[in-house]
Amino acid sequence: MAIRLEHLGKRYGRLPALHDVSLHVEAGEVFGFLGVNGAGKTTTIRILLDLVRPTTGRAWIFDRDCQKQGREVRADIGYLPGEPGFYGDMTGAATLDLLGRLSRQRVDPAWRRTILDRLELASADLQRRIREYSTGMKRKLGIVQALQADPPLLVLDEPTEGLDPLMQEAFYDLLGEIRRRGRTVFMSSHVLPEVERVCDRIGLLRGGELVLLSTVTEVRGLAGRRVRITFADDVPAPAVWPPSCEAIAVAPRLWDLSIRGPLGPIVSLLAALPVVDVDVQMPHLEEILRNYYASEAR
Amino acid sequence: MNRATVALVVHSLRRIRPVVIGISVVLAAFQFLLTQVAAYLMRTQAFGMLASLVPEFVRSLAGPSMLAFMSFAGVVSLGYFHPIVLISLLGLTIAIATEPAAEIESRFVDLTLSRPIARAHVVARTIAVLVVCGLIVLGAMSAGTWIGLACCTPANAPRPSAAIIRSLALNLALIAWCWGGIALALAAAAKRRATASGLAGITVLASYLLDYLGRVWDPARRLSEISPFHYFEPMSLVTGAGLSAPNVATLVAAGLVGTAASFIIFSRRDL
Repeated sequence: MAIRLEHLGKRYGRLPALHDVSLHVEAGEVFGFLGVNGAGKTTTIRILLDLVRPTTGRAWIFDRDCQKQGREVRADIGYLPGEPGFYGDMTGAATLDLLGRLSRQRVDPAWRRTILDRLELASADLQRRIREYSTGMKRKLGIVQALQADPPLLVLDEPTEGLDPLMQEAFYDLLGEIRRRGRTVFMSSHVLPEVERVCDRIGLLRGGELVLLSTVTEVRGLAGRRVRITFADDVPAPAVWPPSCEAIAVAPRLWDLSIRGPLGPIVSLLAALPVVDVDVQMPHLEEILRNYYASEAR
Repeated sequence: MNRATVALVVHSLRRIRPVVIGISVVLAAFQFLLTQVAAYLMRTQAFGMLASLVPEFVRSLAGPSMLAFMSFAGVVSLGYFHPIVLISLLGLTIAIATEPAAEIESRFVDLTLSRPIARAHVVARTIAVLVVCGLIVLGAMSAGTWIGLACCTPANAPRPSAAIIRSLALNLALIAWCWGGIALALAAAAKRRATASGLAGITVLASYLLDYLGRVWDPARRLSEISPFHYFEPMSLVTGAGLSAPNVATLVAAGLVGTAASFIIFSRRDL
């Protein structure tokens, strides 16, 4: 098991930041950690890195206690902070060299070169002072410093924040390669399509509590598929809809339905009707999770 | 010290290098020029005249150290306890000692301590940098004095002994060590460098003034014993008295308490 949290809690004075969070992440998994600002994502990550001490509960990484065996634990982690505190007067190359020397694993220059190439950070860019970098370039540098020692676990806090769409694609490709190398990824994100695309499982934090822990596929199953049926002639709506079928909008020649579970019953109903087109849309994670976020706002 | 700590020490030394070199050059030049001032005063036979200008009651108030100061050796030694030199050295000490707070503020600490580095290594790094920079500055000052005395002063000048210069430099090192420990403890608890360095600076100022009051005003004498400057007595060194063991022990102990506190505070806090 790569990460295990048990009843983790953190208070800053009287302010509760995290309450009774328990979860685990298997080795080789890409885990998405979701939540609005202030939900407790970064606090959880900082506890994993022993930058912050939990008030209650414990955290383990690769079966080692994050607080009691912090140095051993951190030898296996590559961390991308939400806001990396680079020194503006250092060059990118000097920063990567320094942070490489602080890692236990030796940095393989070929692997670093691969990451730099994928993220289109040229040697000339690395020779410039970081204060001259754009937000996106700083983000890329942050990704490189986290990945360069090729650690078994990557903890990434909002990894694509500030990256343009092309670079986001490059990052997803890189993440795919990291996954193929058997590495584990624990990433926090606001960008739900990103999570849907790259993560195996997700955990959703709301007000410091874990309110959802599931695979992306299971989460999608929580919402109905949207089915829009177009008819050649006017068709009356049935008196009783099949089980798990909910009518969103019904017109004589168009039914707009939400269906949870198998499509068989609705297909049987349509068999005798003049159907022109059936459009089935898979539910988006974003729509489902928005409901959780909305309930927090309420 | 492991590879990572050495890397942090080198990194910090690189960052502070321009300031350390600048202060070292300026203070070394000041020491050199003081030897030339002493030589000039000697050639113009001004030392006796200076002593005669000081009123008798001031002389009796200041004690024999006043006369010692109005000598060749006294002027040469002035750079080791001049308030501006003290301010420069303690300012540099505070700047170095508050680096942990600066790294927390800039979030650079997230990048370093997310790697297999113990928090104690960050404090140990700062102590190592303090020691190295202190040695460089004091070494440069001593070199300035030595060069001035060796090459550009009259052969018959009553030079201060090497032991006196060494004890003056060590005395300066001890007061810097003491304040380095205190500033490091403040930095270990602070989230911002400005908070830590501001508090340290105010404490230095208050302690200096308290010591001054204690020296000139009997009712404040007892209270002034809490000031580290109470144990910094360069004038007695100029007269040839060696370093006082209780003074040395007090300054070393204060520095040690500060550094020990910083290890404990930094290892327990949230970053």
